[in-house]
Amino acid sequence: MSGDGKGPAPGSGAHPDDYKGYREPLLSVLKENGVTVWCIVRAKTTKGVFEGLILPRSETADPYHLVLKLGSGYNVGLRYDTIQSIEKTGYFRAEYRIPEQEFPVDPAKPRVKLFGTGGTIASRLDYRTGAVIPAFSPGELYGSVPELADICNLETEKLFGVFSENMGPEQYLVLAEKIGEAIRAGYDGIVIGHGTDTMHHTAAALSFMVQRPPVPIVMVGSQRSSDRPSSDAAQNLINATWTAAHGPIAEVMVCMFGPTSDRYNLLHRGTRVRKMHSSTRSTFRTIGDIPLAMVENGKLTPLQEGWAPRRDDREVEIHPVFEERVTIAYYYPNMHPDVIDALVEKGYRGIVLAGTGLGHVNRRLYPALERARDAGVLVFMTLQTLWGFVQMYVYETGREILGLGVIPLANMLPEVAYIKLGWALGMHPDDPEKVVELMQTPIAGEITPREPHDGYLVFQGGVPEMKEFLGRIWS
Amino acid sequence: MAETEIHRGGVRPPADFNPRTDPPLDFPDREFGEMTPDDYAALGFMAGLEVHQQLATRGKLFCRCPAGLRTTRVDAEVLRHMRPTLSELGEYDGTALMEFKTRKEIVYLLERGTVCTYEMDDTPPFEIDREAVGIALEICRLLNLDLVTELHVMRKQYLDGSIPTGFQRTAMMGVGGVIPFRVPDLGIDRDLRIRQLSLEEDSCREVSDVGHRIVFRTDRLGVPLTETVTEPEFLTPAELQAGARLVARVARATGKVLRGPGAARQDVNVSVAGGRRIEIKGVPHHRGLPRLVHVEAFRQLNLLRIREELRRRGVTPEMLPDPPQGFAWETSPLVAEVGSLLRRCAFRPVLDAIEEGETVVAVRLPGFAGLLARRTQPGITFSRELADRVRVIACLTGQPFLVHSDLGDYGLGSGPWNQVRKALRAGAEDALVVVWGPRRDADTAAREILIRAREALDGIPAETRQAFPDGTTGFERILPGPDRMYPDTDTPPVAIPDEWVAEISARLPETPWERQARYERMGLSPRAAWELAGAPWADLYDELKPREGEIARRLADALARRIPWAYRRGRLESVIDPSRGVAARSYPYRLPSAQRLAPLVRAVEAGEIEPDALDAALAELLDRPEADAVEILDGFRKRGDEDARLDEVVAEVAARAREELPGRPVEVRLRWAMGRAMASLRGRVPAATVRERLLAALAEETA
Ligand SMILES: [Zn+2]
Repeated sequence: MSGDGKGPAPGSGAHPDDYKGYREPLLSVLKENGVTVWCIVRAKTTKGVFEGLILPRSETADPYHLVLKLGSGYNVGLRYDTIQSIEKTGYFRAEYRIPEQEFPVDPAKPRVKLFGTGGTIASRLDYRTGAVIPAFSPGELYGSVPELADICNLETEKLFGVFSENMGPEQYLVLAEKIGEAIRAGYDGIVIGHGTDTMHHTAAALSFMVQRPPVPIVMVGSQRSSDRPSSDAAQNLINATWTAAHGPIAEVMVCMFGPTSDRYNLLHRGTRVRKMHSSTRSTFRTIGDIPLAMVENGKLTPLQEGWAPRRDDREVEIHPVFEERVTIAYYYPNMHPDVIDALVEKGYRGIVLAGTGLGHVNRRLYPALERARDAGVLVFMTLQTLWGFVQMYVYETGREILGLGVIPLANMLPEVAYIKLGWALGMHPDDPEKVVELMQTPIAGEITPREPHDGYLVFQGGVPEMKEFLGRIWS
Repeated sequence: MAETEIHRGGVRPPADFNPRTDPPLDFPDREFGEMTPDDYAALGFMAGLEVHQQLATRGKLFCRCPAGLRTTRVDAEVLRHMRPTLSELGEYDGTALMEFKTRKEIVYLLERGTVCTYEMDDTPPFEIDREAVGIALEICRLLNLDLVTELHVMRKQYLDGSIPTGFQRTAMMGVGGVIPFRVPDLGIDRDLRIRQLSLEEDSCREVSDVGHRIVFRTDRLGVPLTETVTEPEFLTPAELQAGARLVARVARATGKVLRGPGAARQDVNVSVAGGRRIEIKGVPHHRGLPRLVHVEAFRQLNLLRIREELRRRGVTPEMLPDPPQGFAWETSPLVAEVGSLLRRCAFRPVLDAIEEGETVVAVRLPGFAGLLARRTQPGITFSRELADRVRVIACLTGQPFLVHSDLGDYGLGSGPWNQVRKALRAGAEDALVVVWGPRRDADTAAREILIRAREALDGIPAETRQAFPDGTTGFERILPGPDRMYPDTDTPPVAIPDEWVAEISARLPETPWERQARYERMGLSPRAAWELAGAPWADLYDELKPREGEIARRLADALARRIPWAYRRGRLESVIDPSRGVAARSYPYRLPSAQRLAPLVRAVEAGEIEPDALDAALAELLDRPEADAVEILDGFRKRGDEDARLDEVVAEVAARAREELPGRPVEVRLRWAMGRAMASLRGRVPAATVRERLLAALAEETA
């Protein structure tokens, strides 16, 4: 951080960020008054006099307002046509850097590798502009979550700088390879920092691409960025890192908040987990089953049996392949057949239908499904109800659809089916029969043989028993 | 605007220190009420206000929950922790660190009708409530503030748990206003400078705070609130109170703010010469303000005296170092674990603590002997400053939180103290403090005591304090640093079009000072005009349209006397629904209607009822709300037989005075006789006439 109090000398080369975010008509106002971003000014306006520091303007905001940080710390906007004059009284430019503290190494502790994909697990805020600066190096992470040093020796590697919504097959493949390398290099566990929106897609992809890992592979993110005092990031990171370092389960898992309260995290199997709420902390849920385990304060409590245990060997199968020409078609009443035809014409090789009820679509689609089958496009059936099994024998509609070559996928989640289909087609590009067989064979819990009574629990608020439950849940 | 200073890439508000650096250490301790304005000037007293006023909007500021509802129902609980975020310099803010040290479990009580997932930080903010922005703009215009043209929502960090996000969303609306400040009683006739007004969301209501668990209700959370900040220009406690009333009046003038318990709360900042600005938070009433700031002024002076004494004794910060990592009693020569030494002491709380396996720790404060017993506030000594810290920061729960060696007659006996003294190699010049609690908390407590003792060398620690009903204050939090304000990335800027401002400006209500001046023009005394302009019945008064001059004066007096009187007698219905705040203009109780009272005013104006009788007639109208107004007024009307009646009553009363008060002085008999006579003549014969006639009659007899 630096500030010389003078600013660029007149005539010296302008800084590229001198007018950051400002467009006409304000740009001219700034230039006419000889001021730039980071100037401390006294602005006379038709509304009164305002003193403060000129801040950059957000590129997505309108072009009419000047942003000033007042002495009180508040930012305010002044419209260009109210500004009569701007007098420069100082200049302060600061460079921001996240302070690093050396991550303490303890040979007695397990080694954990943290891969970064671009989502901000830990971040800090530029207090003036609100820009979020990600914290990622071990030193930076140690600076914001010092508890990590009590858990393991942490090493980090930033693989991509993309937001969650931009994660895709290209990244899945790199991630799978990197995990393979890390396992062979002897790490005791792997943590993957990831944006939450598509975390369950990536979790599914890694479940298929990385098979029989000997150590935990734990995906983690945050619903509230760590620049917020009430962030879930630290708890998530601590529990995920502990799970990777000490946990007994050698599977691909998602480690996120259980309840919205700061209590415990849940470990969800990578193929059964789904983000179920746009913003709440407790957004990740295991669908059609119960989570693998709870984890809290250095204590892991398994909820399920039959998970793959941690092993000492360094063997793992990495299958980094993906056929991108696959899609999900979300069925709705009166869906027209040309939607399916278009996909076939465009060369898609596999379609996952998210059907209604037990796995249904309307008759109108039948000819299109026939044409798809004839063109060699594989079509699978999953459920938009998310819970429950595809069962196409109960109704005539189902039997008819089966007759058109649509392959039922039991209780595989639609997004998981999409990921698995891309991967299966990548594994067997020229062998549709093998693809179908692979799709119907559970590899990582994506199809379960049975749904326990508590595998479907979407509670209904307002009813007496739920009121009672919620009223005493934490007291 | 005040001078600003460059700091950390921004511009800083005026310094936190009193501009005068010479503490008047020899100033005598005086009780509240014994001080003149000159005395406060000698102290260097300075105070300012931050007035928080809830707005009467339909919805909350950033979500669509209803605003202004109060409830004690609980449908669910949520538990959270607050974690400090690093400042841009990579340092933890002082407050943040303190809150983190406390390792508090924060519990929020939810009621489904008043709170949604937004307030619990589980849903991003919705668009800012336009109704609230409109009301805030109106108040800004009344305060003559310079308006911003675009609102930027900021996050102000609070880690005490009072807001589940850990920050309050707040937007600056206007700066640099000036309003007339004329309070005849106090001889004030000048301008009051308003620094700024921001629109923000209200915080939770605290239910309990014991040990490591703090519990909040969330019904109030997110209700729109204006924060009006004055310059620190109040020079006496009475001025501060008048200022608080004035700011409140401005908001109420809009008729769009909430009334009732907790709807308006003020933070007060106070300093004396040589001192620093201390904020007392959340004072709900104007009544206790003057005493509160008086006590705080003397607390500051007393802390400065303690500093002086410490300096004289040669105590330096280096003599009170922070213990290195590890338990303080293992790493610092100033701290010892003394549980084993005190096993046989006679002090119950320590014995109980030992029995429960808690850790008992003694801290040596070099050169502090005698100072812990120095008075800082009425009935409170310097040791309370330490006790408050260990209660709040170390979360100790065992009363009385600590004992110290300056106490002669309470706590440990001299035997145990001697043992502790030996264990810590303490001399007669040192003070000893003993605290007890769970191991980690006892460690935090020992460290905190050293921190607070070191701060005594600096004088007055920067902190916020909470007000107690007796006018004293207690430590609440370390004062937040300047870095706690940052932009809210979840909300877009909101432009304030000129047309909107123009529309609001066109229908501004009368200001309190305009009203005050109008009442003076109607013939009210300056004092009565100031009082009436702020009275809840001012609108009723205006509706009654009394004639200027005597009747206007009498009506103002009668209302001021009789409405609170009727309320005390239970004749006015309370309109505070315990579950709901109340929109302004209405008072906490239902006022009588203008329709019921107007015939009285008209009758007095028409000469049908003597102005003298206005008060009594009003009293009866209020006291018998179910009785017919016409009938009541008839009892006060003149009937034409006044002269004969006067003769009759004077003769009768004078005769009785002779019988019952034989030989008493004329004044005594006159006073007695006036009471009797007026009981039958009030309203019909002016009091002056009755008095004149009675005096004549009584004098006649004496002669
Ligand atoms: Zn809400």
